[in-house]
Amino acid sequence: MTDEKKTTMNDSSADAMREQQLKSGPLLEVKDLQVDFTSDRGKAIHAVRDSSFSVYPGQWVAIVGESGSGKSTSAMACLGLLPGTGHVVGGSIKLDGEEIAYYKPKQFVHLRGSKMGLVPQDPMSNLNPVWRIGTQVKEALIANNMDVSHEKRSKLSKALAGSEVEVKTEGDETFIGSKELPDLLEAAEKQLVELGVTGTKLEKTMAKFREEWVPGSETRWRVASDLIKAGVKDEDAWYLAKKYVTGSSMEDRIAGLLSEAGLPDAATRARQFPHEFSGGMRQRALIAIGLACRPELLIADEPTSALDVTVQKKILDHLQMLTDSLGTAVLFITHDLGLAAERAQHIVVMYKGQVVESGPSLEVLQHPQHPYTKRLVAAAPSLASQRIISAKAHGEENAVVMEHRVDEKKLKTSDTIIDVEHLTKEFKLPRKKELFKAVDDVSFQVKRGTTLAIVGESGSGKSTVANMCLKLLEPTGGKVLYEGQDIAGFKGHSLLDFRRHVQPVFQNPYGSLDPMYSIFRSIEEPLRIHHIGDKKSRAARVKELLEMVELPESVMQRYPNELSGGQRQRIAIARAMALNPDVIVCDEAVSALDVLVQDQVLQLLNDLQAERGLSYLFITHDLAVVRQIADDVVVMQHGKLVEHGTTDEVFNNPQKQYTRDLLDAIPGGKLELGLDL
Amino acid sequence: MAENANSAITKEKPLETLPGQERYVAPLEETPLQQVDSVDEAAPATSMWADAWRTLRRNPLFIISGILILFIIVVALFPSLFTKNNPTYCSLEYSLDGSSAGHPFGYDLQGCDIYSRVIYGTRASLSVGILTTIIVVVVGALVGAIAGFCGGWIDSVLSRLVDIFMAIPLLLGAIVVLQMFKTTGSVWKVVLVLALFGWVSTARIARGAVLSSKNLEFNTASTALGSTPMRNLFRHIIPNSLAPIIVIATTSLGSYIVSEATLSFLGIGLPSTTVSWGGDISSAQSLLRTDPMVLFYPSCALAITVLAFIMMGDAVKDALDPKSRTA
Repeated sequence: MTDEKKTTMNDSSADAMREQQLKSGPLLEVKDLQVDFTSDRGKAIHAVRDSSFSVYPGQWVAIVGESGSGKSTSAMACLGLLPGTGHVVGGSIKLDGEEIAYYKPKQFVHLRGSKMGLVPQDPMSNLNPVWRIGTQVKEALIANNMDVSHEKRSKLSKALAGSEVEVKTEGDETFIGSKELPDLLEAAEKQLVELGVTGTKLEKTMAKFREEWVPGSETRWRVASDLIKAGVKDEDAWYLAKKYVTGSSMEDRIAGLLSEAGLPDAATRARQFPHEFSGGMRQRALIAIGLACRPELLIADEPTSALDVTVQKKILDHLQMLTDSLGTAVLFITHDLGLAAERAQHIVVMYKGQVVESGPSLEVLQHPQHPYTKRLVAAAPSLASQRIISAKAHGEENAVVMEHRVDEKKLKTSDTIIDVEHLTKEFKLPRKKELFKAVDDVSFQVKRGTTLAIVGESGSGKSTVANMCLKLLEPTGGKVLYEGQDIAGFKGHSLLDFRRHVQPVFQNPYGSLDPMYSIFRSIEEPLRIHHIGDKKSRAARVKELLEMVELPESVMQRYPNELSGGQRQRIAIARAMALNPDVIVCDEAVSALDVLVQDQVLQLLNDLQAERGLSYLFITHDLAVVRQIADDVVVMQHGKLVEHGTTDEVFNNPQKQYTRDLLDAIPGGKLELGLDL
Repeated sequence: MAENANSAITKEKPLETLPGQERYVAPLEETPLQQVDSVDEAAPATSMWADAWRTLRRNPLFIISGILILFIIVVALFPSLFTKNNPTYCSLEYSLDGSSAGHPFGYDLQGCDIYSRVIYGTRASLSVGILTTIIVVVVGALVGAIAGFCGGWIDSVLSRLVDIFMAIPLLLGAIVVLQMFKTTGSVWKVVLVLALFGWVSTARIARGAVLSSKNLEFNTASTALGSTPMRNLFRHIIPNSLAPIIVIATTSLGSYIVSEATLSFLGIGLPSTTVSWGGDISSAQSLLRTDPMVLFYPSCALAITVLAFIMMGDAVKDALDPKSRTA
C-alpha cells in the first residue's frame, strides 16, 4: 500500500477527475439553507441563514469561520444530526441529486455511514471508553451491513479506475485474508525464484509485499498488479491472486481499516481500549470508523484541532492520501485558514450564519474581497508570519506586520529580570517506581521589557516551567531567580511582594474566573488581597483597568458566563494588571480563542508592553503566534530544552530537526496569502 | 484592484472552477460587519443566582410548592388563626363523632377535634424538619469541606467516619438511641438524633463538590494573586460548592419530617403530650377498618407537606443544576 500507487494525482488524472466531476455533477448541493434553534423562551435563533455551497465527488471543501458562525451547524444539518432544538426551516440539501433536508430521522440512518461519514471533533470523548477499538469499528460495519471481504469503490474511483488499471469484476475487489497470506507470500516467493530473482532483490521485493499486502485492506487486483510489476507473467499473477486472495474475515477487515488510517500493528491495536491510545491514535481510529463503510462524502468537523501540529500534519496527510485513493469527497470544517488553504480546493467562509465568500481556496485567501474575509486573512497568525518573511525578503521593515514585537536594540541592551537555571521537576506517577522527569535541566533568561516564548507540544513540560516560575510548583532541582533573588526563599511578606510583581494569565478563559464573582469583584480581588486603597479608590482602579483592556464600564456588574472567551481573557489580563506587575506569565493565553479575537488580545498585550515595559513569559504550542509576538524563543521537547535563540534565528535558521519539523507543520506556513492586504 | 486580482487568478489557476463553485462574495449589506468581540450591552446582567431565580419563577412546580410551603409555615407559626379549638381538649362524649359545625374533620377515639390537631401538629413536624436540616447542612458541609479541601489523612479519617455512619440505617439508629433517652422528651431530642444520622449524606456531597471546585483554575489564579489557601476555601471553593448542598438540603427536609412522623408513630419520637401527625396516625391505626377518616386527615397533611418540600427540592435542583434536567 504505497502512497504513490494509491495517489496518482498527476495532471492527466486531474483532468480525468474533472471530467468525471462535471459529468456526475455535485455530490452534495446545499442551497439557501436555513437552520433555526429554539431558545429557552421559545424564540427562534437563526443559526444558518441562506447558505449555499456544493461539494463535488473527490473534492476537499473547507468551511471556515469563527465559533458561532454556523459552520458546524451547516455540516450537521447535512448529516441530520442537528443538536437539541435545531431544525432546518428552509432551503434544500441535495445528496446525489436527492433532497434530504426534510428527511425523517429514520431515513437519515440509511445515509449515514454508507453515504456520508463523520469524523468528529474531539477524539477524547467520541470513542466509547468501555469498548475495544475493534468493536467500535465493527459496529460501524455491522450497522451498515458492509461486505467485509470485498472493497466497495466510490462511483468516482470506479469511473476513474478504467483509465488506470483493468478493474471490472466484483471478484477482483476481494481482500486478502490473514489465513491465506502466508501461503500467498510463499507462492509469490516461489514464483519469483522460478523467474530467477535472487539475493537482495528477492528480499526487497518480498519485504515490499509483506508491507503492502495488509489483510482486510489490499485487494486481489492490487496483488496481481504488484506481482506483474515484480516481473511475474500476467496469467501466473492472476492465477496466484485468484487462488490465494479469497476474502477476509471481520477481524481482518477491522485491522485493515485501522492500518489504512495509519495505526501501526493494527491487529493488536484493535483489541485495545481507547484509554490506551493517544489523542492522535484515537483520531486515526475515528477516521477508520468514518471511512469504514466507504462513504461518498466524509464530513470532518475540526478533526485535528485538539492535536499537536506535527500530529495534525501526519494525520491530514494520511487522510488526504486515503480519500484521494478511495475517491471520497471531504467537507472539512476548520477555523484555521492556513489549513484550509493547504488542503482544500474550494473554500466557504461563513460569518454570523451566512456564507460571505466562497470560491477556489487559494484565490479567495490570496485576494479576499469581502471585508470579513480580509479581516480574517489579516489576523491569521500563520499567514501573518508568512508576511513577515516576505516583508523581510523585500527589505522592508514593515511596521504593520511586525506590530507585536520590540526592537532588537532593546533586546540586546536590557538586563535580565527572570533567570531560570538548570530547572528540573520530577513527578511521581501512579503505579510506577521511577519518577517522571517533566522538566529536565532547562535554563534561560527573560530580559526586561521583552517577550520570551516557550514552545512545545503537549507534554513537553512548558506549562510546568511556567508554574515553577510563578512559584505555584516547587522545582526538584535548579532555581528561578527574580531580580537576582531565588524565589524558593520567598515566604509570607516577601512571597506576597513577589506575587505582586509576577502575574499569570491562564489558558482557559472559562476556568480562570470564578463564576460566582461579578467582573468587578474579580478584578478587585488582587487589590483586596494586597489591601490596596479603600473602596472608592479600588472602584476607580477597576474602571481604569477595564478601560485599559477596552471593555465598557457596564461589564462590571456582569458575570463571567455572560462574556465571550476573548472578553474573559481580557478580564483576566485586567486582573493581572491590577497590581502593576513587571512580569506576566501567559500560559497558552490565546490558544483557545478565535483568530480575530486572538489577534486582538495579542495586540493588547503588545500595547501594554510598549506602554509599561512589561516582560512576558509566553507559553504556547503555536509557532505562528510566536513569530508575531516573541523576541526570544525556547523550544522544548519531552521536558528538555531543544533550541534557544532569538525569534529570527530560530525561524530563519533552525538548528535542530525537531524545530524544523515544528516549523514545517505550521498549516499553510509556506503559502503566501492575503496578497492585496 | 479587481483587475489585478483577475490577472493573478488566470496565471495561477489554469483549471476553471466547477459549476456552482464560482467565486461568490456576499453583498456587504446582507451581513454587516460587527466589531470584533463586542459586548452586548443591552442584555440584562445575570449571575448564577439571578439565572436560577429566573428559571424558578417560571417553573409551575416551584410556584405550587412555594405557595404550599408558605401556607404551611403560616399555619405552623399561627395555628390559632385557623382554629379556635384547643387540640388537647378532648371529651369522650364526642368520641368518633362525624364532622359538625366548627369541627369539619370530626373527632377521634379520645374525642379530640381532628381538625385542630392537624393544624397544631404542623408546628412539631415543620420545626423538626427545618431544625434538622439546618444542623445537617452546617455540620455536613463543614466536615465535607474540610475533608475535600485538606485531603490526605484528614480526608481518609473523615471519609471512613462518614462510611461508618452511612452503614447505620437512619431509622434503626434513631430507634436505638431514642430508646435510651425515652424518658426525656422534647423536639430537640428528635432533631439531634435525626441530625446525628443525617449529616453524613450532606458531608459526602459537600466533599465531592469541594473536590471538584478545588481543582478549578480560578483557585490557582487566586493563589498566584497572593491569596492564602484559607481565603481560597472560604471565598471561592465553598461558594462554588453551595448549589449541590442546597439541593440536597431542600429534598431531604421532607424526608426528615417523614422520619419524625415514623418515630412518633413508633412511640419513641415526640412525647405523647406534643401534638404531632405521627402520634395521631399511630393512635388512629387501630381504627383503620372502622373509621378510616380519623387516620386519613393527619396522613394527608403529612403527605402534602412532604410532597411540597420534595417538589421544591426538585425545582431548585433544576434551576441550580440545569445539566441534571431529564427532559
